[in-house]
Amino acid sequence: MSRSGPTRVHPATCRLQRTIRRGNVLSFFDHPAIQGGVAPFVVGVVVAALFFRFRLAGLAVAAGFCTAAYFINGFSFTPLTATRKIILLAPAAALIGILCDAFARPARATAVALGLASGALSIWVFWSVLVQKDLLQALALGAGAALWVALVVSLTCGLAAQPVRAGAAGLGLGLGTGAAAVLGATASYGLLGIALGAAAGAFLLAQMILNRKTDAGFTFTLPAGLLAALVGVGSVLLAQLPWHALALLLLAPLAAHVPVPERVSVPVQAVILSALTLAAGAVPAVFMWRAEPGLPF
Amino acid sequence: MKKLVFATIAAAISAPAAAAPETYVIDPRHTFPHFTVNHLGVANIYGRFNRTTGRLILDKAARTGTIEVVLETASIDTGDNERGERKRSRDEHLRSPDFFNAAEFPQMIYKGTATKWNDDTPVEIDGQLTLLGVTRPVRLTVDHFRCLPDPRVGGKREVCGGNATGTLRRSEFGMKFGIPGTSDEIRLLMQFEALRQ
Repeated sequence: MSRSGPTRVHPATCRLQRTIRRGNVLSFFDHPAIQGGVAPFVVGVVVAALFFRFRLAGLAVAAGFCTAAYFINGFSFTPLTATRKIILLAPAAALIGILCDAFARPARATAVALGLASGALSIWVFWSVLVQKDLLQALALGAGAALWVALVVSLTCGLAAQPVRAGAAGLGLGLGTGAAAVLGATASYGLLGIALGAAAGAFLLAQMILNRKTDAGFTFTLPAGLLAALVGVGSVLLAQLPWHALALLLLAPLAAHVPVPERVSVPVQAVILSALTLAAGAVPAVFMWRAEPGLPF
Repeated sequence: MKKLVFATIAAAISAPAAAAPETYVIDPRHTFPHFTVNHLGVANIYGRFNRTTGRLILDKAARTGTIEVVLETASIDTGDNERGERKRSRDEHLRSPDFFNAAEFPQMIYKGTATKWNDDTPVEIDGQLTLLGVTRPVRLTVDHFRCLPDPRVGGKREVCGGNATGTLRRSEFGMKFGIPGTSDEIRLLMQFEALRQ
């Protein structure tokens, strides 16, 4: 039996093999593209596939976010900084989402109630920053943060019964927030936002591949909306993302509400809605880029 | 004889006063904690904090001393604070949550005690550095230390100062961004001067 000739291996695979041979697996995971994009996406696909039949594929977004958070920050919660509170809220929001799906209807009132609760929660998250400001400034910043988070969560949770729209909203909002955060001088918040978008993309991809919708529910929409909103506020309060850029990010969940014919297939719906939300999510980054051109760092 | 007794009593009373701990306030214009961090395994980048306050309490006779230094994290300066063609300068990035998170943790505090002395000169300080809300031990080696009457005011007050060095691992304080491209190990080089109160 003759042996076949040497197989051509892609250069990227060679590099990866060399990295692993050197025992540098950890340095492979140090790469920002792996931490914020590839790893959350892969975990999101696996979780969506595993839980699709249990109608809990929406857990993909919280799982993807936690994956990125683990690589970027680790699961250390002492001292409980604003960033760590946001990370802590990922599993908590998924759990609350599951409970809401079990006991509450995906009605507008539930979405608004979750939005208001999330707005109040944002004060707790950024309390350590707000208390260091003057009273008036703290009140203005706190009220602005609460209003913004309430709006984003209400809009996103309003899509709980529409899984393709919810997935597209998460994709555009996550990637848009991530890109804006990077331009606002915080790469770690940028990676957290991008991870949200990647995981929401995984949730959407699962529906596209299977050509059928699954339940998004609050299990998906609450973590997607809440985490993206908090990452956005964090980029304003802790870094240098301007408020007006943050306000423009509202366009992403709004774009997911654009009417699309229901008779077209799930993949086509997903592509149209994703294109809309991605374009809307890119508006703040483009706006910032045009206002002040140049590399992020 | 009476005079001698009074002189002896006066000396006995004044001796403990002379040996009492003296407080020195850090002179912010002559105190700049510097640091170096390796970038990409290529060069050591130098930076410093421009706003520092604090105090030393020294009892040279008893060979005891403490130091407390408060650094404003937003005053970090690595010589790259102009944006140029970029969106943000390196110093702006260093103030972000990726590194010093200056909005949430505006201060970095070092509290130490001189543990080794060479005659009346401290040579080693064991202390605790609080950075990003995490407190960890950091030892400083005092490379040079001297006290003298301040010639700028005709010797009417005493000035003490010197240089100290130490190392820390920033990941131990939760500052993990950019490792290993930007090294985990940070070398501290502190120049300090303090004026006796």
